[in-house]
Amino acid sequence: MVKLANAFLVVSVLIAAFFLYSLEHKTRGLERDIAKAEKSIIDEREKIKLLGAEWASLTRPDRIQKLAEEQLKLQTLTAQQIVPLAEIGAKVPQTPPLKLEAQNADEIGKMLESLQ
Amino acid sequence: MSLPHSNLQGLKGQNRIRLLGIAFSAFFAAITIQLGQLTLLHHAAPANPELADHEPRQPRPDIVDRNNVIMATDISVSSLYADPRKIIDVDEAVELLTANIPDLDAKSLREKLTQPGRAFVWLKRQVGPDERDAIYNLGIPGVGFVEERKRVYPLGRLAAHTVGYVDVDTKGIAGVEKFLDDQGALYTASLNEPETHSTAPAQLAMDIRVQQAVTDEVAKAVVKFKAKSGGGIIMNVETGEILALASLPDFNPNAEDKHLTSDQQNKLTSGVYELGSVIKAVTFAMALDYGTANLNSHFSTGAPLQIGKFRIHDLHTHAEQSMEEVFTNSSNIGTAKMALAVGLDNHMEFLRRVGLLDRLVTEVPESAKPLLPRHWSKLASATAAFGHGFAVQPLQGLSVIADMINGGIAVPPTFLKRSKEEAQALAHQIVKPETSATMRYLFRANVQKGTGEFADVIGYRVGGKTGTAEKVVHGRYVKDKVLSSFIGAFPMDHPRYAILVMLDEPQAAPETHGFTTAGWNAVPTASNIIARVAPMLGVEPQFSAEDLAKLAKQAKTAKKEG
Repeated sequence: MVKLANAFLVVSVLIAAFFLYSLEHKTRGLERDIAKAEKSIIDEREKIKLLGAEWASLTRPDRIQKLAEEQLKLQTLTAQQIVPLAEIGAKVPQTPPLKLEAQNADEIGKMLESLQ
Repeated sequence: MSLPHSNLQGLKGQNRIRLLGIAFSAFFAAITIQLGQLTLLHHAAPANPELADHEPRQPRPDIVDRNNVIMATDISVSSLYADPRKIIDVDEAVELLTANIPDLDAKSLREKLTQPGRAFVWLKRQVGPDERDAIYNLGIPGVGFVEERKRVYPLGRLAAHTVGYVDVDTKGIAGVEKFLDDQGALYTASLNEPETHSTAPAQLAMDIRVQQAVTDEVAKAVVKFKAKSGGGIIMNVETGEILALASLPDFNPNAEDKHLTSDQQNKLTSGVYELGSVIKAVTFAMALDYGTANLNSHFSTGAPLQIGKFRIHDLHTHAEQSMEEVFTNSSNIGTAKMALAVGLDNHMEFLRRVGLLDRLVTEVPESAKPLLPRHWSKLASATAAFGHGFAVQPLQGLSVIADMINGGIAVPPTFLKRSKEEAQALAHQIVKPETSATMRYLFRANVQKGTGEFADVIGYRVGGKTGTAEKVVHGRYVKDKVLSSFIGAFPMDHPRYAILVMLDEPQAAPETHGFTTAGWNAVPTASNIIARVAPMLGVEPQFSAEDLAKLAKQAKTAKKEG
């Protein structure tokens, strides 16, 4: 009886030890994964910061202004060009002043069509 | 061999085993209970002071504008160091390092690496990623990298005076960066988020689009009028937020060696200037507030005003002028008479009340104290009435005038974003609302028919006052060196934004007909700025019948010429 009990205990100790060991092994693995994930989060954050700084630098208004002055023909908006929402109906022309398709000059439209 | 004996022994042994068993069970039970308590019941780990020491340092907060555009941020860079004790072959190391980093000097590098007994020496701070990889691949023993934080300013020169800069150890040296380090320590701490070891950005009141418009127009004016320097500010009159502040010449905060000259400092806060006639607005508000003058008052301005040995003159002589005319013609005599009617003590008291006698303190630490007349006499009061003999920070002048027209409420100016509620909590009434209403009328009248005529951006109801102050050189006023300025606000029926434009020593240009007065240089600059920023700031244009007539006339002339 005692022998049986002892045998049972020994076996259960072995099982428990094995279970404990495998659990610990798993835990270590998970810990490594966490550390890796944390590191990559930090790395990604750093990258985001770098990209944010780059974005701010590329879109800074003095650079955009210079590019716009070189590439686009834009003028400063005057107060008369701003129309309140209530008056917008009266300001819309009956026929569009420019028919780009008719003049075969709708370059952006063509680009969009070629993409489709 | 006797059985009973052995039986007795076995019994004894069994008892011992039982005792041992009980002891072990008790022991393990204690461990189990403790384990259960620790793992199941106490989920929150107890605060461990030892661990707290090893927590990463809270990073320096980013600085963003009011629309979250990054103005200053930290990026990670590597710095190259060496441990001279570990270097085996100094000649080889020097050769390899100088071959890969061209700007390292071979001679000083050799000196650094041959220092006996030193364990650490910086070779180069903030090495680029390409160079870092190249040196990693060389595998020189005793040479390594440390990850460091580098502060970068993606916008470059734009708003550099407000943001300021840091030294190589990321300690704030100027501007808001310095504020984050010293007086603003509490503010910085409030940005920390201890859970994620991150820091919320410090948000400025600045709008970089407005900043760019102001900087660009002031820069153009400085070139056009060959001015020594120039400046511009846009401020929200309700909240005191500074949306743009440009002082030219400026500097690049990303440059390693800045060598700032006194020209490059922030003149709008760290310099004091006699703003001249702009200050007349304060005198008018004072006379109106004390009730010693009103819009129906008339002043005889035909003869120069004699005080002791001194005489006060006007640029253009008029025999008699109404209060409005004194303002729009910018009459020194009329304004001086107004101040004298208020009295010396009351004048001083009023200047103190509006805050012109104290140093204006904002988040930007570079601030100068006002220069006041040494003896407060009748003459000092009369000249101070039109801005002579006392000098203030331009920002302070703008802030005080904004308070005169926003309903008479003093709001301290700020570089940080502030809500209307926060501003209201800080504000207090300094002049009567009726005084403020009259001031708004005078400011608008001055742009409609006075010295500020060129500032009238049709639709945005601009009001303002010009100032052309002769500069003091060697204790004397010099006629050909002037500081021209314009302080105004828009839309004048319910002011939302105040504007200041200042040009130091502008020269006459062909289109100014030889004039260097503010009406010909600072005012058109302000007009250009307003035309650009008013749509961005959401100021709705409105047109009076007069405006429409003016527009029709303009269109007609344009058609004729076209």
